Amino acid sequence: MKMPIGKSITEPLHDAPLPETQEGNEQARRAATGRVREFQRRSLRGVWYLTLFLGISLVAQQLGSHLPDFPPSVRQLLGAPPSAKMISGLLIVYSFSALILILGRMTTGTGAFSGLSHVGYLLVFYAFYHVAHALDDNFYAVLAAGITILSLESYHIWTWHQERIRQEKQYIVRLDRMREWKRG
Amino acid sequence: MGMSLSGRAIVPVTITVTGFVVICCLLLYQAIKQDMTQDTVRHETALAQTVVRSTRYAMLKADRETVQNIVTTVGSQQDVEQVRIFNKRGVIMFSSHSGELNRQVDRNSEGCIACHAGATPVATMGSMQQARRYRNERGETVLAITAPIYNEPDCFNATCHVHPATQKVLGTLDIGLSQKSLQATLATLRSRMALFSVMILLLTVAGVSAILRRSLFLPVQRLESFALQLAAGHRDIPQPDLNGELETIGRTLQELADSSGKDAGKNSRT
Repeated sequence: MKMPIGKSITEPLHDAPLPETQEGNEQARRAATGRVREFQRRSLRGVWYLTLFLGISLVAQQLGSHLPDFPPSVRQLLGAPPSAKMISGLLIVYSFSALILILGRMTTGTGAFSGLSHVGYLLVFYAFYHVAHALDDNFYAVLAAGITILSLESYHIWTWHQERIRQEKQYIVRLDRMREWKRG
Repeated sequence: MGMSLSGRAIVPVTITVTGFVVICCLLLYQAIKQDMTQDTVRHETALAQTVVRSTRYAMLKADRETVQNIVTTVGSQQDVEQVRIFNKRGVIMFSSHSGELNRQVDRNSEGCIACHAGATPVATMGSMQQARRYRNERGETVLAITAPIYNEPDCFNATCHVHPATQKVLGTLDIGLSQKSLQATLATLRSRMALFSVMILLLTVAGVSAILRRSLFLPVQRLESFALQLAAGHRDIPQPDLNGELETIGRTLQELADSSGKDAGKNSRT
């Protein structure tokens, strides 16, 4: 009885039917305890991705100006890089959209998590600023965008899983009461 | 590990608003800094052209004293770090610092390499490409421009001169302006933006907290206190002042408490 992780909290677990038999009760209890452990593990995913991003940012800051530029032939193939102002405009649009989407997920109670995609998008911004020779000036803007987006994502995913854990624990309490009642 | 209702409401708002304001401030600061630097380079290029044109007549007349006088006068202005005129071979012919006269600069040094990187020196360049930045002995940032002095018809047609018409560039003018005032302006801008971000953060947190406290947290606290008193058996307490859905919950709690009280009475009589 594995509960899908992304299930909406609008379908609370405390409405789930309780098993009639003692054996069913034990099985349901074990499954619920396993889900609690899984939720606890997953609730920290946001923090791991935030740490990953901070690590990458540290490397980007240390090596940014020392990283070799593309050879002239590759630069010619790729064409002129976008201007720093254009990249900055895109960074604002991206940050705004990401924050709105996370707030939307918080409002609807959806447990979807897109931390890895955000780390990827932010890396692309670092790469574009590097190619446009503007990474030193705009490093902190990308860092601030990453910390904001991944912090909000981490907070959302943590509270969502805490809510699920609370519901699972309530379900376990109901199972225990049922078992006690059956014992007489 | 539960978080209070107020914490749940305020934390995401604080992260979102503060983070977005900080991102926008950082990018806006960079855009303003870039615009101000471009303006300074334009101003410096215009100043370099003014110096070149001012010295033109004296150069045509081979009046070295007047050229040196112009260079010294411009170099003595506030914020002007140095004014130098190099000949074709990179020897300093005129300078606002007399100690460096007749010194030859390395073609690979910053400011020269941009044109002398290839086998044939570049004769034309954009104003931003002509600019370079360095720190002087006082630790101040200096923005310098290297402007070419082009060979023109009145130069190669003059009787006193030896420049052939094929020679495009006669020499270069190097002028550097201290960025002290620009850095001070940018520092003021940074502190104002930081203050603005803190004010936005405080206003947002205070505004959201005030609205939520007035319309949600206080009524929920009153409802909680009411429910606890009912649970403790105090049936005669008045329903608290609530509105909307909370008023319905309060009324329902009161009805539940009344009906359970009646049931308890019946059971005790039987």
